[in-house]
Amino acid sequence: MPPVINKALCTGCLECAEACQCDVYFGSIRGEEAKVTYPEECWHCNACVFVCPEGAITLRIPLPMMVLYHEKSG
Amino acid sequence: MGNITMKERSVEADVLCIGGGIAGLMAAIRAAEVGAKVVVAEKANTMFSGSGATGNDHFLCYIPEVHGPDIEPIVNEFQLGQQGGLRHRSFIQKWLLRSEEIVKMWDEWGIPMKYNGKYEFAGHAFPGNPMYNIHYAGKDQKKILTEQALKRGVTILNRMMCFDLITHEGGITGAIGINTWEDELVIFNTKRVILGTGSAIRLYPASTTPAWLFNTRLSPTCVGDGRAMAYRAGAELVNIEIPVFRCGPVYFARAGKATWAGVLRDPHGKPVGPFVTEPDNKYGDPVVDAYQDIFMDYKKSGRGPVYMDCKGLSDEDLEYMYYWLHNEGNVGLLDHLKEEGIDPREKPIEFRSYHRELFPRGGVYYDEEGATSLNGLYAAGDEFFGGISGAAVFGWIAGENAAKQAKGLGLPSIDHAKAQMEQAKAKLESIRNRDVGASWKEANIAVQQIMYDFSGEVRSETLLQAGLHALQRLRQKANEGLIAGNPHELCRCLEVFNLLEVGELIFVAARERKETRGKHIRADYPFTNPLMAKLLIVRKGKQGPILEWRPIKR
Repeated sequence: MPPVINKALCTGCLECAEACQCDVYFGSIRGEEAKVTYPEECWHCNACVFVCPEGAITLRIPLPMMVLYHEKSG
Repeated sequence: MGNITMKERSVEADVLCIGGGIAGLMAAIRAAEVGAKVVVAEKANTMFSGSGATGNDHFLCYIPEVHGPDIEPIVNEFQLGQQGGLRHRSFIQKWLLRSEEIVKMWDEWGIPMKYNGKYEFAGHAFPGNPMYNIHYAGKDQKKILTEQALKRGVTILNRMMCFDLITHEGGITGAIGINTWEDELVIFNTKRVILGTGSAIRLYPASTTPAWLFNTRLSPTCVGDGRAMAYRAGAELVNIEIPVFRCGPVYFARAGKATWAGVLRDPHGKPVGPFVTEPDNKYGDPVVDAYQDIFMDYKKSGRGPVYMDCKGLSDEDLEYMYYWLHNEGNVGLLDHLKEEGIDPREKPIEFRSYHRELFPRGGVYYDEEGATSLNGLYAAGDEFFGGISGAAVFGWIAGENAAKQAKGLGLPSIDHAKAQMEQAKAKLESIRNRDVGASWKEANIAVQQIMYDFSGEVRSETLLQAGLHALQRLRQKANEGLIAGNPHELCRCLEVFNLLEVGELIFVAARERKETRGKHIRADYPFTNPLMAKLLIVRKGKQGPILEWRPIKR
């Protein structure tokens, strides 16, 4: 589920929670690891990834959103 | 039963901007410049909110040094094309006339509007016809607009969702909102209000993944809040019944077709449209602007799927395309392609229409001054489709006019709002304190299935009647039984109430428009009636919605 927090890097600054327009990080507590409370409300805008000073966030694209392609180019 | 009590506080200002997207921030910036005390109430955070969150691609504009001194050919092209259909000509003229100053201003503020030193006209155009959209690098636009607003002394209240306007003697004197992080009710006591809450997404199912509500092309937090509160306050809405949908990659909907520059081809490699046969960075494949049903038609006739084939793009051109995709906030998609090892030149990406994800372009009826039908209320941007440029231009205009009108006025008394406030408080507290009931998500899914089944790809009098009845039943159940475990969920509940409001009006207006127009497809009135190329206004009456037809001044 997006986003994924690297626990080793997260300092709990909550820049991600401030930035998220969908409030995926609702209820996170400053000083503690950011909490992904509502992962299914992510719009994949990457704002949290951009603002994280530690580079601790990646988005994991949910399986239903997998991009499909043609195996061989016509 | 819980025992949550909402705290209360009030905020005073000359001008309140509801929604801090492009429209709201531009309105706030201009209103502050004109000398008003301005507050922005933003449901999320203005740095990254709305459909412009982490970038956008095209900015619609008329640039005399490029187009020449005569604006009329551009007005004509705009009116003929996908975007101008049902608007007064004077509105489009003003939009285009004022666009250049905004482009130059944004560029000065640090939003790069030029590419390699010149305007890069590309996209949403047909080969041979005038082009009026420039690519611009919008990745940091919201940060920059926020900085500009703060620099002018604008107060920004983030995590503040306004859900109702306050009316007094036929005019608007403020709004009521909640803090989405704390149980707090806020009353805004202001002289003028500007709505800029964006489109009405999440009314219909997310097209590629109906079970995944937030996989939408435009921002899933834009849910028709402005339309719903404007209607409740007595403002006119316009053409709310005519929906549109867009196209894009399967199954990653965010940003849709965006700046993809390949050719749309069938599984055998044959181009499906007449416009391009080789990848073209200037046009992309404009067939999706002209013929959104192509994907479904190919599927139904046994010729699908259709692919966005970038074969033939040079390394340089691919880099160019990725540059724009990056700048319109499509980094999530680009990262996904990279992780999956998908080079779109070797592996054409499947595209489809997002035909379930209908949304109304019509909405709050604002004129070329940004004024609505209610004294004291302005609107801009996607409250009535404007896209990026419409948000910027009419936000600016609305901000200026609202601030000028606020000058010399005293602050209204809030005494008349007390009953409204108490009623809102009781309703919100009952949602927060109820132990058993439906979540916002349950209600939202129910809204979407009714909207799609009864006013989706096909409509008719009997379907619309049945759908309206179903939606009204749902609305009653939602009014009586939603639950919210925290302020975030309370905000989502209020969004669902607004979706229900807008949805109901779509049914009412769709019954009145007895013709087929665009994606308003009436099985019982299958042709587009030239006599109905008009504005259909809906406003609140004592006995329910009042409908009125008005001509379009061409």
